[in-house]
Amino acid sequence: MALNDILEDARLAGRAIADYGSGLVRPTLRLGVTGLSRSGKTIFITALIHALLHGTRLPVFEALTSGRIARVRLSPQPDAAVPRFEYEKHLRDLVDLRRWPESTRAISEIRVEIDYQTKRGAEKTLALDIVDYPGEWLLDLLLLDKTYEQWSAETIALSKLAPRAVLANQWHIHLKSLEPRASADEQHAIHAAKFFTEYLVACRDERFAMNLLPPGRFLMPGDLAGSPAVTFAPLDLPRGDEAPKGSLWAMMAERFESYRANVVRPFFREHFARLDRQIVLADVLAAINSGPEALSDLEQTLSAIAACFNTGRRTLLSSIFKPRADRILFAATKADHLHHLQHDRLENILSRMVARAAERSELAGAKTDAIAMAAIRATREAVVTRGKEKLPAIVGTPLAGERIGNETFDGTKETAVFPGELPELIEGEDREWKFKGLAASGPDETDFRFLKFRPPLLDAAAGGEPALPHIRLDRALQFLTGDRLE
Amino acid sequence: MTKPASFKPDDPRVAVASADEPLLTRAELRELEAAEALSLPAVIEPAQKRSRFWSKLFWSAAGGLVSLALGLAVANLVQSLFSYAPWLGWLALALTALAALALFVIAMRELFAIFRLEKIERLQKRAAEVLASDDREEGKAVVAGLLSVARTMPRLAKGRATMENYSRDIIDGADYVRLAERELLSPLDAEARKLVSSAAKRVSLVTAISPRAAVDMLFVLFNTLFLIRKLATLYGGRPGVLGMFRLMRHVISHLALTGGMAVGDSIVQQLLGHGLAAKLSARLGEGVLNGLLTARLGIAAIEVTRPLPFAALPRPTLSDLAGNLLPTKKD
Repeated sequence: MALNDILEDARLAGRAIADYGSGLVRPTLRLGVTGLSRSGKTIFITALIHALLHGTRLPVFEALTSGRIARVRLSPQPDAAVPRFEYEKHLRDLVDLRRWPESTRAISEIRVEIDYQTKRGAEKTLALDIVDYPGEWLLDLLLLDKTYEQWSAETIALSKLAPRAVLANQWHIHLKSLEPRASADEQHAIHAAKFFTEYLVACRDERFAMNLLPPGRFLMPGDLAGSPAVTFAPLDLPRGDEAPKGSLWAMMAERFESYRANVVRPFFREHFARLDRQIVLADVLAAINSGPEALSDLEQTLSAIAACFNTGRRTLLSSIFKPRADRILFAATKADHLHHLQHDRLENILSRMVARAAERSELAGAKTDAIAMAAIRATREAVVTRGKEKLPAIVGTPLAGERIGNETFDGTKETAVFPGELPELIEGEDREWKFKGLAASGPDETDFRFLKFRPPLLDAAAGGEPALPHIRLDRALQFLTGDRLE
Repeated sequence: MTKPASFKPDDPRVAVASADEPLLTRAELRELEAAEALSLPAVIEPAQKRSRFWSKLFWSAAGGLVSLALGLAVANLVQSLFSYAPWLGWLALALTALAALALFVIAMRELFAIFRLEKIERLQKRAAEVLASDDREEGKAVVAGLLSVARTMPRLAKGRATMENYSRDIIDGADYVRLAERELLSPLDAEARKLVSSAAKRVSLVTAISPRAAVDMLFVLFNTLFLIRKLATLYGGRPGVLGMFRLMRHVISHLALTGGMAVGDSIVQQLLGHGLAAKLSARLGEGVLNGLLTARLGIAAIEVTRPLPFAALPRPTLSDLAGNLLPTKKD
């Protein structure tokens, strides 16, 4: 165990030294786009690259507005073994077909080079490395420091809480039939893994919108599907005991270990241990849609993930041996599903959710910020007058099959939607959420309804590439890269 | 709580929002502001409010007396002219009326000038508050105020158009104010720097070659007044005579407030510069010192007359503006 950890640290330091060396030759900024599945990582990256390449409206991004950025181009990425981020394909999906990119199934990478002039006049180039990966895999980070026994106990305890208990019913029944000390049987393991995975998948449904569902490869196996590394499940284990040799317990524990060693650690080493800047995307509105349970689940997940980051002020020593992210931006995505008057409340909700993680990073010397953002803005704003009320509404084209009240949309008609008014948070009040979401009540009774919209219809009449509308993408860029372009 | 709902876009109740129309009424905004004011970092103000009741009373009363005396003298004059010859009386009356009209117009102009200055001062204060609070609506209001000040400045046509172009985007208060500063004030700042540094150069030259102390004192005084007036005009203030008094007072109090604090930059340089220059010649040293003082005053004047505080753009420093006054190794 201890030897493993030392080896791992040595590997991390080795990587860091190599990076530091190449960073001297070519200044590089590794931007970590962190986010759970469906939080909009791919869209954020696509919109960011598009905005940089075409120099579209980014008023708050100082280097671009003041004209100091001379040229931006895509260039070959540093890691030859990782596929390239399919920027062009995603863009065509968004602009021509007006559909969101499919969920990411494998890791990919892209490098953007920015030629700019510093404020003092020197001409420089900054390489921006961005990695995209399935958000499900992020959950694996929670397993970094856990043993099989710990993980089993936690997972089973969690699955007995509402609203998970109902969804876990099948798996619980199967779990009772298993005897951990019985001799190892591959069929038992396969069945256990199957029921467990079904439970995880059910929790992820839009109605419940749970996120705290490790291990991530069970939800998005990538090239591991069917291999022993993902054929294990938690067992109801007696406390303070050791696994007998050759038992089911021992087999599961061994597979869990190999999952950690062969899947989790390399992922962490390659993509998280060496980031300069982090943006954490969270789909807060989806959680609000589902209800208070999903919201507190998201909060737990975010703080657990943020606890894995290396954050803090950069020093020469830290940048050589143990890189740290010195700026972290928490962003509530899909802010275009709300009228901008409510953005402050969304920001407040997010800030409260990540308060502990942000505080920890700031104590270590990193800068943090929380914003409501939409990398691509799919709606316009409108005011609806109903009786005496003036409702701040948004206008967009809901995806086919979306429902609000008793109306179902077909994906072609524009609709004005009033999604509900977010609760206002008052400093120092207790953190109980009290509202009705999809998980606990029927679709007609919820306090909020955030629909999914199609990507906006863009006006390409001016010839050439149309600009993608956004909300606060420029602020995010300024926070994440602005100081390196000064 | 209002339930979520959907509406057809051709429904007459749906109005696609225009950027200028605030959704909240004034009263609601004020409530919001009051609620937020509690949680904001306070903006520190110099404590200068002391009751000036008696001095104000004295000056108003004395002013009233003087105007009464003037009115009486004029009335007497007209009366006695009437007794000489009626046509003389009429002429005097007409002249009095003309003088009164002109006085009225001048007074109105002064009043407007003071209003303009006050508007700019208020704008600066509000902008500082927005930079701390990041309030979106207030930031929009500040930028709208700035645009109305900038309407008369032809060189800002492009910046104004850019800002109006951004008015529909969702940008937060502090970012919006910073953006406006970059777009609208950077040409003005460059011009202001030029004004201050050339004034400083002029002063140091005249002091160095002037035959009498009285001459350069007068010159420094006029040059300074002229500089402040030009700076205020540049930033949209256009002060009148009373406005100049007001501005002078503010600039000097600002200088007193900040002057002592600028240790790192100025004092060392001043002493060093003065010391070196004084070794060359006493007159030259005095010239450099006067130039430095003018530049200091110019910086204070920029900070007072500028409609926004320095946030996105660099604050001018003494070495920017008066660097060329100091003897360097090149010479």
